[in-house]
Amino acid sequence: MVAAVQHPNIKLLTYSEVEEVSGYIGNFEVAIRQKARYVDHSICTGCGTCWEKCPTRVNSEYNLGMGIRKAIYISFPQAVPNKPLIDRENCRWFTSGKCGVCKKVCQAGAVDYDQQDELLSVKVGAIVMATGYDLFNWQQAYGEYGYGRFPDVITGLQFERMSNASGPTEGKIIRPSDGAEPKDVVFIKCVGSRDITKGKEYCSRTCCMYTAKHAHQVLEKIPDSRAFIFYMDVRTPGKAYEEFYQRTLHEGANYIRGRVSKIYRSGSKLMVRGADTLLGVPVEVEADLVVLATAMGPAAGSDKIAQKVGFSIDKDGFFQEAHPKLRPMETNTAGVFLAGACQGPKDIPDTVAQASGAAVKVCALLSKSELATDPMISQVNESICSGCLACKAVCPYKAIEEKSISERVGGKAVERTVASVNMGLCQGCGSCTVACLPGALNLKGFTNEQLLAEVDAICL
Amino acid sequence: MKRTGVFICWCGSNIGGVVDIPAALEEVSKFPGVAYATDYKYMCSEPGQEKIINAIKEHKLDRVVVSACSPRLHENTFRKAIQRAGLNPYMLEIANIREHCSWVHQNDKEKATLKAIDLIRRAVAKAGKIEPLYESSISVKKRVLVIGGGIAGMQAALDVAEAGYEVVLVEREGTVGGKMAMLDKTFPTLDCSA
Amino acid sequence: MSVTENWEPKIIGFCCNWCSYAGADLAGVSRMSYPANLRVLRVPCSSRVNPQFILRAFQRGADAVLVSG
Repeated sequence: MVAAVQHPNIKLLTYSEVEEVSGYIGNFEVAIRQKARYVDHSICTGCGTCWEKCPTRVNSEYNLGMGIRKAIYISFPQAVPNKPLIDRENCRWFTSGKCGVCKKVCQAGAVDYDQQDELLSVKVGAIVMATGYDLFNWQQAYGEYGYGRFPDVITGLQFERMSNASGPTEGKIIRPSDGAEPKDVVFIKCVGSRDITKGKEYCSRTCCMYTAKHAHQVLEKIPDSRAFIFYMDVRTPGKAYEEFYQRTLHEGANYIRGRVSKIYRSGSKLMVRGADTLLGVPVEVEADLVVLATAMGPAAGSDKIAQKVGFSIDKDGFFQEAHPKLRPMETNTAGVFLAGACQGPKDIPDTVAQASGAAVKVCALLSKSELATDPMISQVNESICSGCLACKAVCPYKAIEEKSISERVGGKAVERTVASVNMGLCQGCGSCTVACLPGALNLKGFTNEQLLAEVDAICL
Repeated sequence: MKRTGVFICWCGSNIGGVVDIPAALEEVSKFPGVAYATDYKYMCSEPGQEKIINAIKEHKLDRVVVSACSPRLHENTFRKAIQRAGLNPYMLEIANIREHCSWVHQNDKEKATLKAIDLIRRAVAKAGKIEPLYESSISVKKRVLVIGGGIAGMQAALDVAEAGYEVVLVEREGTVGGKMAMLDKTFPTLDCSA
Repeated sequence: MSVTENWEPKIIGFCCNWCSYAGADLAGVSRMSYPANLRVLRVPCSSRVNPQFILRAFQRGADAVLVSG
């Protein structure tokens, strides 16, 4: 992470969002909004006094509701950049106009309540989409797991935050309800994945492996613990993956092939009822903690960013690659590439591989000083163009511009407007040729004359 | 006078097993503007391309119809081939007699043959109206925008930056790292994710 | 007008290169089968199809025209 910030060729803009993209391969123009942090990062030392003294305690999004942060905060101790920002929604200064503690205690004078969003404009030749994933919202779909009513039913990502040494519990696995150490942990796989009725049709690809890892961590970290895993299949297609799964099995993880039909409270514990389809018997397991391997879905807002950049999404909302086998890092929009889980569920090795692949595609493009354009684009016959610009109204690529030409009519110079095609923007769809009543526009490679000749020949 | 060359591909038995190519060839040779017509087992192969190049030179062809698989597959291959023979690469038209004919009409060879002839007639008619086209060029801004600062975005950014190009890495949260930085140890090697 | 028993309509299809033309390719790759009386013309987009082309097809004896994109 630090490497990405320190690289002299990388300009990092955090807390920023892409507002608008225009242009085309080799020449995109991008408007970026850098949201106000209310902390001047050029003078902030990241000492941490402000967030220690801030009186407002907020549920930490980063810790998925399992920890507390302040209104002026960094997401986690190793955040990059390691300097705070103020959450305007919750900060007392912004909500009530009183407080100002962080500004008072800041020795560097970095807190600036008047900071504004900054709009930046950059020109780039290529764009890489790497917007990642979000977890499937299981609470809305799985009533049998309690719709999120049981605090001790958590997701795999919440488990990760707990077992992470810099997480809310400093690496200790606990029951969120009472903070006790869980002894019996039940894992349920395919929550939302491979479930057409309640979730997604696809396999999320990573859950078999991270569940094996979680089970291993429970057995390793908690003495006398037991791990039960309800599964449909165990899929371990990756280098050293099957070995890892076997290791977890040998450590004593209990794999039960079958679905869970109900989780209910039983005293201070949870009862997990399911089926063991290999033995053909119903089973009930008493659990202190239940961890769900929830499906991966496209990141929130990814449909909107796809629309802004101008490429398509697939039926599940992931970014559509140009070809599933031959062009997995490209979109159908020239100059826009894909990396990671935004294209479909992926684990870290696959993500890194695809990201490096996308980087090579970008490098190949940027290594050229000039690009050859497709000559099959529209052209204007200026002598019959009436300048009505009906073509401009129908062009989906904003490729038609107005142009002023001067002609000699009856010995006098006359200025008039005609349509002009921007060859970088024109994608050769031909909409304009149909809108043009005088017939001044024609599409090279698919001219009116050619198409009529084809119709004549094929109807013969 | 236009001099069109027609080259019908058998694609092994993919086309030749359904369409009666000798019969089609005879019909096609009579189309107006067709100066030369021939067939070959695999037109996209090196010898197939050589056949086209030699015919262009020998018969002074000024445009070419290749009657084979979908233009989405080999249009570029054949454009390059006729360019090697000195023609403008866009003096080419493809008749799709595999995906749009032999593969979808395997059970009716007679109708498939008639349809193939129609499809070639269309291509020859269009070829009669084509003109040389010339590519032009646009400049390339040597900078990339990476949207998303998780592992995918950081890896792509670092690789491109290492190659010497400028990168703008945009992350909507206050920190880079994305989901990956939230994780504890990662499988299968159990190393940390920071 | 009476329709003779073995009459088959002549259908002309204008298909967008990026979707339906590719779809027709996929039908071939998947070895699907459909009647041979459809003849497809490739256009770069369905919006390229001038109504004039459709009228011309009817004038020249087409029984139906399919515009797909």
